[in-house]
Amino acid sequence: MIRKKTMENMLDPRTKLITAIFFTILVVTSRKLSWLLPEWAVLVAFVIFIGKGRAYARWLRLALPMALFFGAVTWWTADWKAGLTAALALLILISIFFVFFSTTTPEDLGNSLVKIGLPYPVAFVFSTSLQFVPMIGRKAGNVTDAQRSRGIPLEPGWSALRHYPAFLGPLLIQAFQLAEELAAAMEARGFGRPGRTFYKEYRMGPADWLTIAGSLLLLAACLVLRR
Amino acid sequence: MRSPFLIEIESLRYAYRKGGGKWILDGAHLKIRPDEYLLVCGASGSGKSTLCRTFNGLIPHFFGGSLQGDIRIAGIPAAEQSVDRLFATMGMVFQNPEAQLFNRTVEREIAFGLESIGLARSEIKRRIAEAATTAGIDTLLSKNPHELSGGEQQLVSIAAVLALHPQMIILDEPYANLDPFNLRRVRAALKEIHRNGTGIIISEHRLALTVADARRMVVLHQGRIVLDGTPEEVLKQGIERYGLESPLAVRIGRRMGMTPLPLDINSLKLKISSDKPLEPPASSALATPRTDVDEHVLTVDRICFHAGGRTLLRDISFTLAKGECLALVGANGAGKTTLLRHLNGLNRPSRGEVIVMNRPARELKVSQLARYVGVAFQNPNSQFFKLTVRDEIAVGAKALHCYDVSWTRELVGLFKLGPLLDRAPYRLSEGEKKRVAFAATLAARPAILAMDEPTAGQDMFFRRSLGLLLADLRQRGQAVLLITQDLSFAEEHAQRWLLLAQGEMVAEGSPGRVMGNQAAMQRAHLEPTDRFRLFGGEKN
Repeated sequence: MIRKKTMENMLDPRTKLITAIFFTILVVTSRKLSWLLPEWAVLVAFVIFIGKGRAYARWLRLALPMALFFGAVTWWTADWKAGLTAALALLILISIFFVFFSTTTPEDLGNSLVKIGLPYPVAFVFSTSLQFVPMIGRKAGNVTDAQRSRGIPLEPGWSALRHYPAFLGPLLIQAFQLAEELAAAMEARGFGRPGRTFYKEYRMGPADWLTIAGSLLLLAACLVLRR
Repeated sequence: MRSPFLIEIESLRYAYRKGGGKWILDGAHLKIRPDEYLLVCGASGSGKSTLCRTFNGLIPHFFGGSLQGDIRIAGIPAAEQSVDRLFATMGMVFQNPEAQLFNRTVEREIAFGLESIGLARSEIKRRIAEAATTAGIDTLLSKNPHELSGGEQQLVSIAAVLALHPQMIILDEPYANLDPFNLRRVRAALKEIHRNGTGIIISEHRLALTVADARRMVVLHQGRIVLDGTPEEVLKQGIERYGLESPLAVRIGRRMGMTPLPLDINSLKLKISSDKPLEPPASSALATPRTDVDEHVLTVDRICFHAGGRTLLRDISFTLAKGECLALVGANGAGKTTLLRHLNGLNRPSRGEVIVMNRPARELKVSQLARYVGVAFQNPNSQFFKLTVRDEIAVGAKALHCYDVSWTRELVGLFKLGPLLDRAPYRLSEGEKKRVAFAATLAARPAILAMDEPTAGQDMFFRRSLGLLLADLRQRGQAVLLITQDLSFAEEHAQRWLLLAQGEMVAEGSPGRVMGNQAAMQRAHLEPTDRFRLFGGEKN
């Protein structure tokens, strides 16, 4: 299978994680709008550069109300400037999360962390649980449909709270069943057997070291300049 | 001297840890050579899946429980071999594809087992390519397994164990949720794998699909092997007393005293002389008259449905009358369930109209439509939340404020649920769960009962009792909509079919008329039933 050389697989997942951590430090230490705005601009430019602009716009639709709510609470307890700063800082933090997970699969992240000592079962549980989130989402949809079809009102709203056992009961039972079947299937494919190798190679190359060094320098420069 | 058998089971008894001490396997004896194509069959609850789990050490190592007797794999007692030693020799494909595909891409799914046995990267790459080619999925390597069709998922699961170069592949009901098109693909892949020297063990109760492929067949009944031999030898002895249904060709061949017994329709046809016409077996649908044909309870008028930039339904129109059983047939992804969701308001048409009991469905909420259209979805586990069957049956009717004690009592009798009333619904067998779900749906006395794939994964006992129930319900004037890809069941119990393909209605009429429309059947990726291929159908 031919892999396209894209931004997504040019860098090792560990490099992306370290860079994301540096950027997070930069954002949480920024206390002024005039610092946050260029940071956001850099991030948005990067998102557009890697061709994830549309997905980011959709993501913003969900993230923006959350950031605005957080900003409004801060405004109420302090002033409008603090509110706006808090909202923007949260928005950038969520955006870092977006960039990281849209360029790194949980599987890659987990497997590359195994290389630096994370136990394989921990990494596997992390990546697999994320893989099954959409399936549990589909099951939740099926439960809601099945109950609504027999007159139990599970439409979104306060009244649904009264009927939460009708939603949670079948969902939990199915989740437990799925977990047991999954565990048996994993066992039958050798999960946990010592001496595992990895099909995908995770190696830190010159581009990785350059990126880490560059972002570290940038972080240090920003922190020094702001003092 | 080394034993010629790969699997040797003697006087095996097994009870699950939480099974209340019930022996699921109760004195089973079986010896299997490495190059066999073995069919393990038995009614629901006979112990098929449990037996399969002993072949790769999941029993006793993973499931625990009580085990007596002897299991040897490649001459070594199973108790001395853990699953991670056995898994590469005894590849296992489970019934539920969604729980056994846990990687992000097909390529990684196949790589997983190879990584477990510690192969080098270059060897993993070579084996992925080899297994994907044999299973016919080489174009799917970069896809997410959860976004594939049921048949493709099953092929990915097979490729994932095939890559390990096992001596034997064990498949637990591999055809349970497949439509005829995908079923053909999986069958062909398995035949090819067997030709290449890998042994195959299939646990299945849909025998028409498997007997012609298998070289040996064993019948399990109450945890014991009761019949063992070539498919012909076993089928000759009659398997109906064990809750299994012989394929139509075998039933006819047996009745006419043919030797050797024809195992499929093609071999039967070769044996029949043209001057001695066959008599078709009785069909309950043809025997039951259609009642109140003019009293329509449902009218679907040229509905279209678009979602996600795609047209999922296009210009669908039909009616359903009181006392009628109408089957909506089509392959996976044809749009059957999407259409069903329009009848009770879970989806609203982009164009056209659904009229239920003379009222436009768009004017009614889902909870109001539930009074008229009762839907029993394929997976009853999606609805059970009460602690007893008694409460589960009543909960919907109570929510709709139409709970009727005497009607509920009648339903309990009709569905034979009396002994189960105080049991927890999710602890029942799959067939019992389905019966509870049907009763719960009917408790609100809906004018229309819609059943989504009611026979999927069910054995002959269930299919027969469901058939009788449908006849009974129709006599009472109940309109029934069967949503199914089980054409044999639909042929027997529905008088009229609607054939869907790619969201369009491509044929309508009696089962014979629809199956006689070759172009439409091909477009829908379906094949006529054995009965139709032998006797044809009325062309009206």
